[in-house]
Amino acid sequence: MKVEGFLKDVTGASRVTRARHRLIDSGSPQNLYHDHIRELAEELHPKETRVRVTRVEDVSKTARKFTFEAAEGSILPPFQAGQYVSLDLAIPDGEGKTVRTARPFSICSAPFQARQKEKPFFELTIRDGRPGEGFASGYMYNSCRVGDVFTAHLPFGQFYYESLRDAKQVVALAGGSGITPFYSMAQEIAHGTLDCSLTILYGSVRADDIILEKQIREIRCPRVRFVNVISGDPDYPGEKGYLSADLIRKYTEGDPADGGTSYFVCGPLPMYRFVESELKKLGVPKRRIRMEVFGAPRDITKDPDYPAREPEIFRLTVYRGLEETVINASSLEPLAVALERAGVPNQTRCRSGACGYCRCKLLKGDVFVPSAGDGRRYADRKFGYVHACSTYPLSDCAIKIPIC
Amino acid sequence: MAIYKDSYDVVVIGGALAGMSCAMKLASEGKDVLVLERHNLPGGIATSFVRGGVEMEATLHEMMSIGPESDPLPMRRYLDEMKVAIRWLRVPEAYDLVSQEDGIAISLHAGRRSDGTWVAADEIEALYPGSRDDVNRLLELCRKVYESVNYLNDHTVSKLQMLRDHEELVKTAGYSAKEVMNTMFPKLSAKVKKILSAYWIYVGQPIPTLPFTVYAFLMGDYMSGGSYVARGFSHEMSVAMEHRCEQMGVQMEFGQNVEKILVKNGRVTGVRTSRGDEIACRYVASAPYPNTVYGKMIEPKSEVPPEAFRYANAMPMSVSCFSVVMLLDARPEELNIHSYSVFSSETAMNTVKFWKQGRKLGGWDYLTTICLNFANPDGVPDGMTSLSITYLPLPECFDEVTADNYFEVKRKYAGEMIDQVSCRLGVNLRDHIAEIEIETPVTISHYTSDYRGGIYGYQHNMQNSIVARLADIERTTYIRGLVSCASHQLAGDGMAVNMNNGRIAAMQILAEMKKEA
Repeated sequence: MKVEGFLKDVTGASRVTRARHRLIDSGSPQNLYHDHIRELAEELHPKETRVRVTRVEDVSKTARKFTFEAAEGSILPPFQAGQYVSLDLAIPDGEGKTVRTARPFSICSAPFQARQKEKPFFELTIRDGRPGEGFASGYMYNSCRVGDVFTAHLPFGQFYYESLRDAKQVVALAGGSGITPFYSMAQEIAHGTLDCSLTILYGSVRADDIILEKQIREIRCPRVRFVNVISGDPDYPGEKGYLSADLIRKYTEGDPADGGTSYFVCGPLPMYRFVESELKKLGVPKRRIRMEVFGAPRDITKDPDYPAREPEIFRLTVYRGLEETVINASSLEPLAVALERAGVPNQTRCRSGACGYCRCKLLKGDVFVPSAGDGRRYADRKFGYVHACSTYPLSDCAIKIPIC
Repeated sequence: MAIYKDSYDVVVIGGALAGMSCAMKLASEGKDVLVLERHNLPGGIATSFVRGGVEMEATLHEMMSIGPESDPLPMRRYLDEMKVAIRWLRVPEAYDLVSQEDGIAISLHAGRRSDGTWVAADEIEALYPGSRDDVNRLLELCRKVYESVNYLNDHTVSKLQMLRDHEELVKTAGYSAKEVMNTMFPKLSAKVKKILSAYWIYVGQPIPTLPFTVYAFLMGDYMSGGSYVARGFSHEMSVAMEHRCEQMGVQMEFGQNVEKILVKNGRVTGVRTSRGDEIACRYVASAPYPNTVYGKMIEPKSEVPPEAFRYANAMPMSVSCFSVVMLLDARPEELNIHSYSVFSSETAMNTVKFWKQGRKLGGWDYLTTICLNFANPDGVPDGMTSLSITYLPLPECFDEVTADNYFEVKRKYAGEMIDQVSCRLGVNLRDHIAEIEIETPVTISHYTSDYRGGIYGYQHNMQNSIVARLADIERTTYIRGLVSCASHQLAGDGMAVNMNNGRIAAMQILAEMKKEA
């Protein structure tokens, strides 16, 4: 628009122009920059938090609880019971190299503990990895010591009680290490800072698989109830079997179909499939079911949609800015893992395909994205973007990843 | 190979709509452009998110300046020219306005007939007999001003042409929407004026201080061409532009925060990212507000002239946003929802009052309720309703909010908004919430880092109207090579407007380059 000189001649326009000059001249010539909202955003979502392990405690035969406090220069941000932290890890691969990766862990301590004045902390409970799986959790379980310092990213995740959405009565359906977010919720309820009741139905194979039992039993609060359900021991004195429709009904006050109870599910993938169909049998309204994301599948070839083929190692061309690197990528592992194995700097958060933190552009090649781990937006699918943590190569590929 | 080239013709800070539009335009003229975006997604707040497998809009979303394929408006033409592939869906109505105390409940539709009469004029006439002619005249005036602004966007005109062809713009440029309505349309009833004021919220400026040029631009556009959304949500606009930028040779990098703009002898020489990359350039198009740029980005600090601080300190911040985005487990009809966008208030329609309410938390009485089902039915699962409720408060309403009371504040005022809309609908929406996200000024700041969580730039009031900004453009350039490229710029806020802002920023840079060559 090129009419400046002229606009100044127009009566009304010159009126507003003069007013603008007066306005600008009234401004202070000093640097008064201050942005309260930016400071608050950074306090709530720090780019990273340095944390130090201050305590390690066994909480079952095969699980340990790690207490983290903020290291010098960091402050723990607030989080909501059920959210997770992503820990940056550097793990020796046994062949003299170090793999840089990250893992999400649900926080098992209560939000109030991270905000208390004296020694604020958060806790993670991590189970030993089984052979052939649980690479990072096995490393944490066996190698993490008091005094170790980590870079943590928090808080993340949508698996928390939302009073505007969820029913006042919550029934938790947990399996394995899926108990951790509910321990957090239970403590927050007992502390009086989370306003709902919680019945935890915790499925384990044997009684000695139960994680955090002593800790949860110690919570003295009439609004928190804890029930173990054991599937692999016919002599167990308490509830036996699986988290079935009958059992869920038994521990629900009122009819599960009437919407008065929210069901929160967290555990291993097979449990989700089972519990989902049980909740359906009970006629639970969909909005009353909350499912935590469940990580990458242990064996992608078992996915019903996976095309039949032999495992293969492909060439993956990676662009970071203008830098080009060619690495190997196994058809059995997500692209994010191929990047980590090759030492290409890359970031992940949820590692379940949901959060989109590892979004990258697929420039060439065929890939498989399991539908359970496809949290992509419509347009990303249309224009060929993928989430590296839940995308498996089916041919040689080329991707462009964010620089980090 | 290194990650970056040593230098670029232009570095664009911020890969949102303005930044990407600027990059496309520069690339189309053969310039070497780098876009640095701190978030991992393009588009800024023109984005979407997925909850429970369902994609939801993150923004008060309604594109102007698109128009039907057969009769395209300028932004559709520009995007077509740039070969940006977006699937547009038409929003059925312009807007509903419900003002309970005023007894106003009306639904208006876009559309102008070849004889210069307007569909909305008939709709208003049906409820307020005797107003048709004046409404037709007002909308015609708006359309002429709108066309003049569009024309002047791309053309240089003489004084004579200006007076001859753009008389309506010249006549009204110095006046507010209220002044023009009152002086040129004295017979329009108070209620009809209220009905025609609903869009004030798209600028976040009350009618008495809203420049008529800006008001006319909105009315002239929306009421003639209607409004549109992308089939793939706002994220489709952003990704389509990202995709096109890359095809055109623009280097787009995400997760890259620009910490410093390097300046020497009053001239931009480069930028430095948080990662420590130093990239040389003679031009920077900046989405960060001047407050942030002058306050903490220019290096060395001594390169910021006192006049730049005067400008940044004097500019009054416009609104931020407080939105409740929900997925409800019933069909819209079951929830008594029948339109895409409804502006509603319980008390009498008074834009100054509504605007002032935004200085504090709560008691907000001008809510915008958007039901995506009516514009993008395939974007919502069957049996569900995708609904957002928005109020645009001023950033200062968050002055007392801390990390300790943030979640409580969020839920409390989101709850108030849900209850107010529930009350109007006669349906308790709380009984249907399957997913909910609450967006606040802090959310905006978290994802964009925009100054004080602002979404609309500086107040587009009389001192700051497009006309005044334009007349001042050279005076408010304080560092050579540094161009504003976002809603704090010339044309103000809005998605289409920001695409245009980016285009204008590119043209400013191209003109400057030519001069320097």
